[in-house]
Amino acid sequence: MPPGPFGMDPAIWAVLRLVVAVALAAGLVFNGALAQIYLERKIQAIIQDRTGPMHTGPYGLLQTFADAIKLLGKEDIRARLTDHWFFLAAPSIVFAPMLASYVVIPFAPGVVGADLNIGLLYLTTLGSMTVLGIVLAGWASNNKYSLIGGLRSAGQLISYEVPQILSLVTVVLVVGSLSMVKIVDSQQGFLINFLILPLAFTTYFIAGLAETNRVPFDLPEAESELVAGFLTEYSGMRWGLFFVAEYGEVTVVCSIVAALFFGGWHGPLVDVHPLIGPILGVLWFTLKTYFFVLVFMWVRATLPRFRIDQLMSFCWLMLIPLTLLNLLVTAILLLVFPDNILPVAIANWVMLGGFAFSVPFLQRRRLASLRARLAARAAA
Amino acid sequence: MSSEIIEQALFALLTVGIIGAAAGVVFLNRITGAALLMAFTFFCMAGMFLLLGAETIAAFQVLIYVGAITVLILYGVMFTPQGDRDYRLFFQTQTPWAALFVVPIAIFVFVTALFAFRDSGNAGALGSDLGPLATSVFRDYAFPFEVASVLLLAAMIGAIVLVKRDED
Repeated sequence: MPPGPFGMDPAIWAVLRLVVAVALAAGLVFNGALAQIYLERKIQAIIQDRTGPMHTGPYGLLQTFADAIKLLGKEDIRARLTDHWFFLAAPSIVFAPMLASYVVIPFAPGVVGADLNIGLLYLTTLGSMTVLGIVLAGWASNNKYSLIGGLRSAGQLISYEVPQILSLVTVVLVVGSLSMVKIVDSQQGFLINFLILPLAFTTYFIAGLAETNRVPFDLPEAESELVAGFLTEYSGMRWGLFFVAEYGEVTVVCSIVAALFFGGWHGPLVDVHPLIGPILGVLWFTLKTYFFVLVFMWVRATLPRFRIDQLMSFCWLMLIPLTLLNLLVTAILLLVFPDNILPVAIANWVMLGGFAFSVPFLQRRRLASLRARLAARAAA
Repeated sequence: MSSEIIEQALFALLTVGIIGAAAGVVFLNRITGAALLMAFTFFCMAGMFLLLGAETIAAFQVLIYVGAITVLILYGVMFTPQGDRDYRLFFQTQTPWAALFVVPIAIFVFVTALFAFRDSGNAGALGSDLGPLATSVFRDYAFPFEVASVLLLAAMIGAIVLVKRDED
């Protein structure tokens, strides 16, 4: 056990460190959720030509605080026929793994909870655990809309985990480590992983949208079809916990993107001073992460929702073959040219181009087959 | 308080968790509860692997068993009719015969465990098990690994064929 500061007993320091770390992570998550809800409202308002929250505080800044206080004060409603313990446990099962993810997120050099040498695997593991909570929430609510939401979420999350992990493995192949700190350290200067592996970034970003249940993949809670999906029976702070967990999950996915593909804490002036460096590192990392949070919101305001069959066929017929091909090509090129990263980069950009250009053609073929089927039905 | 005591306390807690949850899986009347307790058992097993210094295996344990297998089982449970099941389903007529076979085996396993693992020492330093795991799976035991994956593939194709035949 590491000795504590000020000559503190190591055993006491170990416990105290845990308390401080959990409190810090919880503070980050809750404040991040408040900030992101405000941002989300404002950005959607701008895109939809509205003003968004305006009246509570300057520029409506206090609106989310008021909402949070309202949520905390709400009556805890629980329908009589819900499955008592599962209904209570589900929000925590969704929330806890998300909170635990913050252990390995590399904020700056030296500012990281624990530099696990399986950091990336740990993150995907925790990401896969939230499915259990959502399925349980859908089941325990004893409501058909909740159940459909839970089942959809199980299918969606398990399917999209495959391309997600496959695209991460490509990065691990190039970097040669699963540790988040080592992955960030490998991207000094301008040669960030995005320039080497743009296709892996694209597929991870799409799969990340699906993993966090964000539009266009928000089928488990599709308002216009399922009331609110697995959230239907929840209210008050239990509902709030699901909501906070979703925003925390978005932050985790975006920080993985920032750390893996965009150099994490690296930025101008990080190496100048041992005291200012970490502060600047945290700043760059946060800015990069929130840039992708903003892209998530932009996507939400722009794209319509998938249909369930489109969702599944896109994953199994498009993303998984693509990520498998990417993995295969990257592995072969790394074996053939062990000292040169350029062939991998060229192959990845070419595949990304092929993917981007093939989408309209596939879409047209799909539409044509759909029209043919409709015409056949009309004729029959 | 040293780290050894903490380790032993964790071991005791995890053991209670594994055995208690496993017993719950067998004896519980409610099938969703049993599925969730099974997830808990897997989770405690991952904790055991962590105590042994096999963090990669622990991560895979949670990733595959808690994140995927349990969800699939819950998925299956949701499509089966619900209702309280008779306890006779658990304690059937062959219970005495089963006890006759199980008790000697259990005694044998217990005695072996008591004597064989007394001086097995430390299971290894806490640290990376990623390298040894990778070399053993992809180099030393590559052939059995491939055979196992082909077997799983055959089983999966067989399941799909069986389902498809019913549909036609």
